[in-house]
Amino acid sequence: MKIKFKQAVLTAASAAMLGAIASPAQAANWLMLQGTEPADAAKRAHVWGFIQAQWQKDTSDACKFAPCTDQYIPPKLIGPNLTSQEAFNVNRARIGVRGTGLPLDSKVNYFLLLEMGNNAITEGTGAFAKATDASITLNHIPNARVRLGLFKYPGAEEGLQAIHVFDYVNFSEVTNQLLLERVPNTDGAENENLYPPGQGGLLGDEQNGFNNGVSAFRDVGIQVFDAFKVSNWEHSYAVMYGNGNGLNLSDNDDEKDLYLYWSSERVYGGKGPFRQGLKLFAWMQDGKRSLDRTNDGVFNPEKYDRERSGLGVKYLKNAWRFTAEYMQGEGMIFVGPDKPSFDQNGTAGPAVGDGATGEASGWYLEGGWRIPNSKWELDLRYDVYNRLEGDALESEWLTTTLGANYFFNKKTRFTFNYALRDVDSIKQRDAGVAPLTPNPNNNMQTIEDRISLQVTHIF
Amino acid sequence: MKPIVHRLVAVLLALGLCVYSLQASAAEKSFAETKVVLQISDNDPFKQTLVLNVANNLIKHYGPDQVDIEIVAFGPGLRLLFAENVNTDRIQSLVDNGVRFAACNNTVNGMSKILGEEPVLNQNAVRVSAGVVRIMDLEKQGYQLIKP
Repeated sequence: MKIKFKQAVLTAASAAMLGAIASPAQAANWLMLQGTEPADAAKRAHVWGFIQAQWQKDTSDACKFAPCTDQYIPPKLIGPNLTSQEAFNVNRARIGVRGTGLPLDSKVNYFLLLEMGNNAITEGTGAFAKATDASITLNHIPNARVRLGLFKYPGAEEGLQAIHVFDYVNFSEVTNQLLLERVPNTDGAENENLYPPGQGGLLGDEQNGFNNGVSAFRDVGIQVFDAFKVSNWEHSYAVMYGNGNGLNLSDNDDEKDLYLYWSSERVYGGKGPFRQGLKLFAWMQDGKRSLDRTNDGVFNPEKYDRERSGLGVKYLKNAWRFTAEYMQGEGMIFVGPDKPSFDQNGTAGPAVGDGATGEASGWYLEGGWRIPNSKWELDLRYDVYNRLEGDALESEWLTTTLGANYFFNKKTRFTFNYALRDVDSIKQRDAGVAPLTPNPNNNMQTIEDRISLQVTHIF
Repeated sequence: MKPIVHRLVAVLLALGLCVYSLQASAAEKSFAETKVVLQISDNDPFKQTLVLNVANNLIKHYGPDQVDIEIVAFGPGLRLLFAENVNTDRIQSLVDNGVRFAACNNTVNGMSKILGEEPVLNQNAVRVSAGVVRIMDLEKQGYQLIKP
């Protein structure tokens, strides 16, 4: 089923690419917004950035049963530090510069962005700042712009879109767990143990088994892309070949990732991130990862496939916004945040809870309404994530997020989210399946709601 | 020697044709009561948008037949008249309403040295020998200079 779905995505993308005979587009989409500059109208160095300050409170209860009595797992704690259930945080503080080094030549442009906030990109790295984007785009070949360096790979809407205009505080659960990649440790340190040091311990213990930052939907590599206008439609494509090693600037093995992306958008008007239109898109990623599962202190990894694909639609016109996206994955399924690992069953072997070769899928529906003649926007999102499908430890994550945005001005807004979470290890919950010890539902069924407040300022 | 003379004659003919073209366009609006020359000489992309907005607002206020507008680009502002400039559609719209665009030839020559080749200009841009001289000439003819 999954192979057929991927083939369908590839066939549709290939047919659309071959069928696109049109003039280059001037208006931008995410690919164009992030990878190009307006022709002959860009600065030599445009300095910009944004700050997000937030407060979050998690209302989950501690585990009530042995052997996890009074313990808290990561989804019950506030990330990235996972040391409390209520915290202020400067989640993102980014500053960047972009433009054309030689303004007379718009054939070349660049994009550099540094992260100085406290999040899964920077946590544990010990660095003052981490580069999230450092790319050069060459616009010399008609219909085939070339982007090189570190940048967002073409993929799912939540990951590809600019985070400072994201309508919610947190990603949907399916995006967070299936797509926001946790890069395995490369020093032989455990990253798949059932309870790594401190994991599953008392509130305040170190909970993160990985010693790398997340991939942040980015990779280092080369991308060929462009956009074309055909009447009122804009078609875009991207083909990327990258290390598959997240924000790390070099590769950790000889394996490379292939990314394909296609979108077709009926453009209604406007420009930039709030351009109005109806966009259909499909994408896929295919690569391998080196994962050390022996937990013997020696880095002796094996190769595992990591495949992701999805399709979706986004509509934005006047006061209304609507998005729907389905995505699925095979291999390297992150089985945290229940446990920060690729193998929930750890040393017991891969027969149960094997995230390295497991499958997962999910989808989300979301919408927003900008209240006319006011500064308020109301948002609602429902997302479903099925992790380790067919496995005895298959879990279902259902999240409904109620949201509101208040816009102080075009550059500053306040975001309120209330996330209602319902999580079950469904086969352990349902009758007829022998319960595992410990039963993951002892932890999962006490995952409760989360309140998030955030102010975003763009400069 | 002959090729140099031929080139010189060709350049002079081309410049002469440009001046004639600008004068002919201006003559079509010689009865306009309001005459404005807009200067764009800044590298800031926002200034490109601003000068086009000002021209558009003048046309909306006076009407296309009652205002005579010429936009003179020189120095870093010449980027506005590059063929692939993102504002090409807006420029065409203004041309359709009688706005003229003049490109400084001195700037073109200077940029050619930096780029290693001559920049391709918008087909609506008419070259003048020097942008500043063009502005001074227009002022003598009663045009008001505005530098947005």
